[in-house]
Amino acid sequence: MKYLKCTLLLALTAFVASCEDDFLEPAPTSVISSANYYTTPEQVESAVFNIYDAIQGVNSTSSNDNHALQYEFYLTEMRSDNTRTKASEGEAAQFENYTIEATNGIVADYYQSYYNVIYRANVALENLNAAGSMAGKLEAEAKFLRAYAYYNLVNLFGDIPLVKNTISPEDKDTAFTRKAVSEVHQLIIDDLNTAIAGLDNSSRFRASKAAAQTLMAKVQLKLGNHLEAQQLCEAIVGSGDYALQANFKDIFFNEGNNEIIFAIGYLPDSTESQLFSAEWLNAVGRTTGVNYVTNDAKAALDAMGGDRTMYSYRVDTGQITQHQVVKYIPDGDAALGITATSSDPRKAGNDWIVLRYADVLLLHVESILAGQASTSSAAALSSFNAVRNRAGLANDADGTITKQELMDERRVELAFENHRLFDLIRMGEAENVLGAFATSVGASFTSSDILLPIPQREINLSGGSMQQNPGY
Amino acid sequence: MNFKLKDAIKLHLVIAVSVSIGLFTSCEDEIYPEAGSVNDKTPPSAAFSASQGEGFNDEWKTYSFSNQSSSATDFSWDFGDGNTSTDFEPQNVYPGEGTFTISLTASDKLGVSSTFTENIVIVEPVAPSAVVPPILEASFEDNSLPDGSGDGRDSWRLSGAGVIQITSSPVYEGSQAAKFPSAGDRAAYQALDVTPNSDYTLTYYYTMKTSPSGGNVTVWILPGEVSEFSAIDTSQAIASFAGTDQSSSNDYVKVDLSFNTGANDKVAIFITNNLVESRVDSMSITAD
Repeated sequence: MKYLKCTLLLALTAFVASCEDDFLEPAPTSVISSANYYTTPEQVESAVFNIYDAIQGVNSTSSNDNHALQYEFYLTEMRSDNTRTKASEGEAAQFENYTIEATNGIVADYYQSYYNVIYRANVALENLNAAGSMAGKLEAEAKFLRAYAYYNLVNLFGDIPLVKNTISPEDKDTAFTRKAVSEVHQLIIDDLNTAIAGLDNSSRFRASKAAAQTLMAKVQLKLGNHLEAQQLCEAIVGSGDYALQANFKDIFFNEGNNEIIFAIGYLPDSTESQLFSAEWLNAVGRTTGVNYVTNDAKAALDAMGGDRTMYSYRVDTGQITQHQVVKYIPDGDAALGITATSSDPRKAGNDWIVLRYADVLLLHVESILAGQASTSSAAALSSFNAVRNRAGLANDADGTITKQELMDERRVELAFENHRLFDLIRMGEAENVLGAFATSVGASFTSSDILLPIPQREINLSGGSMQQNPGY
Repeated sequence: MNFKLKDAIKLHLVIAVSVSIGLFTSCEDEIYPEAGSVNDKTPPSAAFSASQGEGFNDEWKTYSFSNQSSSATDFSWDFGDGNTSTDFEPQNVYPGEGTFTISLTASDKLGVSSTFTENIVIVEPVAPSAVVPPILEASFEDNSLPDGSGDGRDSWRLSGAGVIQITSSPVYEGSQAAKFPSAGDRAAYQALDVTPNSDYTLTYYYTMKTSPSGGNVTVWILPGEVSEFSAIDTSQAIASFAGTDQSSSNDYVKVDLSFNTGANDKVAIFITNNLVESRVDSMSITAD
């Protein structure tokens, strides 16, 4: 009995002692948590891989999953004069008609997905102290990816919440306070400066110096800093790490080629595959066809595409008055010499090219044009003609590149690669061009349609403190 | 029985009166014209921005207006030049340059309205011409700096490089020229502010001793600006000309060195020589 009392006392003492320690916040020892996981450089690198994974998105249609890049064409290309739905049905058709509702699920999915990209980047950035000698490179990579996410969001939504570190659900102030576009641009520029300083050009599927320079050039052009943009483009050209593919088709069907500056990789017939390639065909994906080519884009490609036209659009054999995008076809096209990238087209392996060298050459022309109506600069002509010559077209006829000629060249070179809308916005032509296009197809475009609505869910969660964009 | 009935009637009466008093009281509380009516929490708010047209002809006279009003259904524009519109996003062609006051009145179907007014100053855009930078002490003359001072070579010094000498004979014009002794250990350097992607021509005159043969006096146009001789990299030169005419030590030879500034808003003139005593005089620059 006395022995038992002693044991009891001892146990009680031990219990009391443990109480005094961290009884209310015990560090779990048998499970992994985000607070204790990152202890080695490899683990921090896995946090960086996780950011790419978020941009890559999940091959699914569940609104709980991240889709990010997999849904980007809806918000960009289908809101430009390049593409539309085949059947003009459902909420996907709101984009081509410029009748987007604040409740549109695709917009909400994209918004949520890209803030998840930012969250994952912030997780990586907050654990750099465990990255040892890899810290510099991993910081540069994470910051490039965060800048890329903010670049997309600020172009699509205007003023947006600026989340620079991981936040708790209680931090409604950060999550729902819209910061001015200029403030978002400043974070993008700061992040890209870190990325440019900390990266080299050794990868096409991870962030590189050239990728950060290209994105920076686009931001500087938008801000009117033409000289900075020109110097960035010339640094990429001068690196000698990139070249135009001789055949236009090879850009898209010879993966990892040296025209690619930054691509998001997908693996066929796996959980790392993508669905958008199938969605762009007639009932191969889950829809009856989205991202179909408008007559306006077809006419532009017919007139100015050169060798690019046949690898940009084709006739839909199921309905010969309709036209599909050829870039990124998942199930092959024998007539064009394109083989399937996967056995199940709904699990396509086509990589998505975010940035490529032809884009840089045309940005170079844009930076020399410097907001003027035309340029005859030899450096601009050299870049411009390199892109034209690859497409089998002759040099610019009169040796003077007008703004319209540059816009046309960008349109046919980069058609269906999600550049068109951002190009029009950056060059200040969105209202003109999309206004005229909308009128021609019986839709109505006003200046407030340049920005998407902030998802209604966010406004509801903010308790009404978050303001909607005008016109919604 | 009869008595009981009377009582019951009385009771009902009391209840009925009480109820009607209650009703009457609640009626008195009704101060709004309609039950459930609330104030308009989102009255119209007018706002717009204007953008000038671009093009080669008279597009600059055309302004497009972006309507940024909220909670409004009807719009009335006054463009300040006598023209008006009720479109959502109209365009207006102005008669020419001037300041115009534009007002937008946005109203809703309750008759509430809001007016936003802004002035625009319309000027015909001019094609920007390249800046012609001044070259300081371009003829290496004394007291030729803008403030009337200078020894003819103050503007041409570069830390880490031997400063040029000044000669009084032979000169191309004036009373002094730059002299580069045969040792080739002197250099002249001056940075200029220029317009990017513009064509310029630098004109100068040089002469060299007739012997030994095989010398040169070279003028480079270098991108950007450096503060140390060690940072000079002539392999990056935008343009250069190596003068090798040793036919006369007295007669100056004219050189026109054309270049395009490319992605630079600063370029520098850098001059040095090899083997032979050389002279340079009368530099000038023009935008082409």
